[in-house]
Parts: sequence; C-alpha cells; structure tokens
Amino acid sequence: MDFPDFTQLMVDLEKQELEAPNGGASPQVYEQLLAIYLYNHDLCNAKYLWKRTPAQIKSSNPELSHIWTIGQFMWKKDYPAIYRSLNSVTWSDTVADIMLKVQESVQNRAVELISQAYSSIRLETVCAMTGLSAETCSKACLEKQWQIEADTQIVHPIRSNAESAGQTNSEDQLYKLTDFVSFLEN
Amino acid sequence: MASPLEHFVNTVRTQTINGTFRELVEYLSKTNEILQKNSQHLDNVLETLDFQQHSLGVLYLLCAKFNYINPTAQDNRFTQAQGFIQDCNGEQIRLAPDVFAELCHLITKYLTEIKQPMKGIDLMRKAIAKLRLFDAQLTSIHADLCQLCLLAKCFKPALEILNIDITGICQETSSSSNNSQFDAKYFLLYFYYGGMIYLALKNLDRALYFFEVAITIPAHAVSHVMLEAYKKYVIVSLLLHGKEQPIPKYASHVVNRFIKPLSQPYGALAAAFELNNNLELNNVINKHTEVFARDHNLGLVKQVSSVLYKKNIQRLTKTFLTLSLSDVASRVGLQSPSDAERYILYMIEEKQIYATINQKDGMVIFLDEPDKHSGSEVLKELETELSLCMELDKQILAMDCDIQVNPQFVRKATGGQDDEQPNKSTYAM
Repeated sequence: MDFPDFTQLMVDLEKQELEAPNGGASPQVYEQLLAIYLYNHDLCNAKYLWKRTPAQIKSSNPELSHIWTIGQFMWKKDYPAIYRSLNSVTWSDTVADIMLKVQESVQNRAVELISQAYSSIRLETVCAMTGLSAETCSKACLEKQWQIEADTQIVHPIRSNAESAGQTNSEDQLYKLTDFVSFLEN
Repeated sequence: MASPLEHFVNTVRTQTINGTFRELVEYLSKTNEILQKNSQHLDNVLETLDFQQHSLGVLYLLCAKFNYINPTAQDNRFTQAQGFIQDCNGEQIRLAPDVFAELCHLITKYLTEIKQPMKGIDLMRKAIAKLRLFDAQLTSIHADLCQLCLLAKCFKPALEILNIDITGICQETSSSSNNSQFDAKYFLLYFYYGGMIYLALKNLDRALYFFEVAITIPAHAVSHVMLEAYKKYVIVSLLLHGKEQPIPKYASHVVNRFIKPLSQPYGALAAAFELNNNLELNNVINKHTEVFARDHNLGLVKQVSSVLYKKNIQRLTKTFLTLSLSDVASRVGLQSPSDAERYILYMIEEKQIYATINQKDGMVIFLDEPDKHSGSEVLKELETELSLCMELDKQILAMDCDIQVNPQFVRKATGGQDDEQPNKSTYAM
C-alpha cells in the first residue's frame, strides 16, 4: 500500500479557494479539498470547510454532501457507517482516487488502534472496525500473526511497537551539542 | 476637477519627486477636510496617481473614500484597495502606518458588512507583510486577519501568522499624528481571536496561552474582550488540565476584582467540575444554560461535561490495575459497559491513558506509561526544547540590553534626586 502525498495538491486547492474572485471556488475544489482533509484525518478543518462552502454549491453537488457524511461518521468514530457510506456511492473521477485512499487510511488507523487497545477482541468487532468480511478479516489477522481462537472467535492482536526511523547524522548532532555547550558556558 | 484637489495632486507629485515624504505625510494629514468636501471627485484624482509611485497620496485618498462615500451599486473601492495593497510601496506606507492600518480596518469592516470575509484573507496577509519589518512583529492588521478568518471559518491562513510568537509591536504612529500608539483594542482582539481559532482547531494548549495573554494585559478598567477571554480561559483550562488554572500573578488586579465576579457562572462550573461528580456538574450547567448560551459558550460547556467522564476514567487508572468494563461504567456514571468501552477506546487513541481492553472477559487492564525515555525521539524533543530555551534567553538578553541603554531608564536609575516613583525593579518588569 502506498501513501501518496496530497500535500502539494492541498496547498494548491487552498490557494485556489482563497483567490476565487467572488468568494466561491468551483465545486471540484471543495470536493477534493474535503476529501484530502478526511484522508489526513484533519476533521476540524474538514468541518469548517463544509461550514463555509456556499449553500448553492452544496445543493447543486450532492457528492459533496456524501463526502461530508463520511466525515461526520469519522467524527463520531462510527466505523461500520463510514464503510457503508464509502461504498454506497460511486465516486466521480474528481475524487475517486482520493476516496479510495481515505478508505485505506481509515482501515489502517483502525488496525493500529486495535493492536494498541485490545488484548483480545471479538472477530465481529474487528470486522466492523475494518469493514471487511469475516473471511477476509480472519485471513488478514493470521497474516499479521494475530491468533484466532476457533471456538470463541476471539482474536488476540499483537501490540506493534511503532519505531520511528528518525536517524540523525552524527555531524549534525555534534554541531548541536557544540551549540549547547557554548551556550551553557556563556 | 476642483482646484483644491488639483493642489492636492500637485503637492503629492512634487513632494514624491523630491523625496520629501515626511513633509508629504504632514501635508496629507491635514487634507481630510478637503477630501471630504470633494468626495465625489475622488475617483478622478485616483486616476492621476500611480499606486506604486504615489503610495502615500493614494493611501489617504482610499481612506477618505471608504470613510465618506456611501456605497453605490457600482462599487469599485474594494478592487481599488486590492490593487493598492498589492502594488503599494512598503517604505512609503511605513511612514503613515496608522493610516494604512486604518484603511485595513475599514476594508475589514466593509467586507464584514457585505458578508464576504473570504475575499479579504489573502489581502490582509499581504498587508501585514508590507507593514511589518520582521516576522515576529505585531501590527493591528493581525486582528483584522483573524477576524476575517473566523468569519469565513477558514483558519489555515491565520495559523501561519499565529504560530509565530510575537516579540515586537509595530509602532503605529506617524510623524503627523499625535494620537495613541498601538491601540490596546487590537492587541486584545488579536489574542482573543487567535485563541478562538486555536480552540476551533482543538489546539487547546496554544488556545490557553492566547487567552492567558489576553487576560494578563495590564489594565485599569474592565474590557469586554478581556471578560470574554477570561470566560474562555476558564473553560479551556478545564478541558485541558481538568482544573481551573490559577491566574498568573502578574495579571492586573482588575481580573480578580471585577472580572471574576462578573463571570460567576463559570466559577461555579469550575467548582462543580472539581468535585468530579457528573450529576453536580450537569445541575450547574442546567442552572446557567441561559448565560452560557448567551455567551455562545454552550458548545464548549458541553465538551466540559464529556471531558469529566474521561477525567474520572483517568483517575481510575491511579487506583486499579484491572477493572471490568461494567465497573468502570458504574463508577464513572456511564450508562452501559459498551459506553465505557467507547470512551476508553477513544482515550487510548488520543494517548490519554495507557490500557488494553480484553473483550473476552470484559476487562480493562491499565498499564503504566510505556518507558519512552530513551531513543532518538526523546533526544530530538530535548534538542528542540533546548534550542527554544536558548532562543528565549537571547531575546531576554537583547531586551535587557535595550532597557540598559534607554535614556529614560538611565536617568531614573542614576539620577536619584527625582525618582519618586518607578524604581529599578518596576522598570525591569
């Protein structure tokens, strides 16, 4: 799974919105921007984008309100509803790519959360939180080496330890250290 | 063209060519009356001047236009102002910063009235960039930008400005005007609006800081902005720290003497919150609903009530190692075990508690905070903190230096004869 970087697109869209001559950009701008905010899980900004979208664009573009429905469910952390509304709509070309990534990012967050928060969890809960069918779900669990008790359908997730690869080079570190020491001595 | 205006144009032109801008500002500040009387011809005059070359003249003309002309159907003043701020000469307008800021306030007011705040955000950003000398300098246009962003519900552009800590204030006096320096109103508004923007984006830490600055400004009288900032300060400190943060000692006595009694319901809210009892808290909220709603703080108050559940769960982690979900629910006052599970799940996600849920037996196991005091991440954090401290130290030294060489201070510190009031220590504050 790759994670495309929408940052550049986001900055461009934000600029387009600000520079729109009559205080309202084209509907595509709003749709894409909203979708990107959801992808980044930036719900606050998504909420205010929805609030500031002109009413007329909202009414003429039902797709925009579909996107925001998902945002609302994300806000409430209602996972089953998120997947339901993600898959109930055929997205137009403007946002289809991004919405697909939104789904992936929601799923990843859910899996991460499960591994952090549960020592044992019912399979159906896992299914609900990832939006997968029981079969695919149990396969995915086994792939992650999460054990499943066959009789009770209980999954035992393994805590993953997120290691950040924040390697700094030693020269840089040395430079900083010199800075500190010279500061302390003066 | 009427003759006084002809004189106006000629003066602007000759003074600009001669480069005697100070005299020009002096002349212009006396032209208000002429411009007001001939307001119907302002457009003609504007056409004869160049935005870039005659920035000062245009500035006064536009100001007059916003001030004296009633908007008509074909209103071109916003487009003109836009063009002007885009093209104007920074050096010239910095000679009349008060007028420039005034123009920005007028534009903001105008956009607020026609309900198109979005249009002004980019413009105000440009205006700030023109007026300030360095990034950390506060101008009164900052408040305008924040206001427009709040009205437009578009916060990202304001964050770029808000994230810079202010270390200097733009002296908005021109040689000609003797009124006021930096208007305290805009200073207060900047921090109040800024706090609200951070609050909307749930950056509570920063929001609390902004409200704190707003309420610790030296004051002799109660300002409405300060009062509202205090109310939000109380709420944010409950949301963030779970208790009412004490007001810093250097806040003026006005806060304790007048503002506190004026926001009594908020005091009651904080007191009820600290009892850790949801019933009590809801009683207080119901009792004062009207006040909270009138202050437009009801949404925040509701957040306070849900934070109390979380705080209570957090308190449980101090006593218990394992607890069943139904016990959690009953101890915290939640309806059902699944509600409790939802809260705990949410808190784990936000890293507010460390725990694992065992759905098989319906138990929660509270863990200690994982040992994170090693590794490169901590080192990095330490490094940034250290460099922040170093930066701060540098600032303080520089400010100290400034005071040491300030003639007024030197006279007070060494004179001795006529130092009835401020002595060294109060000055150093």
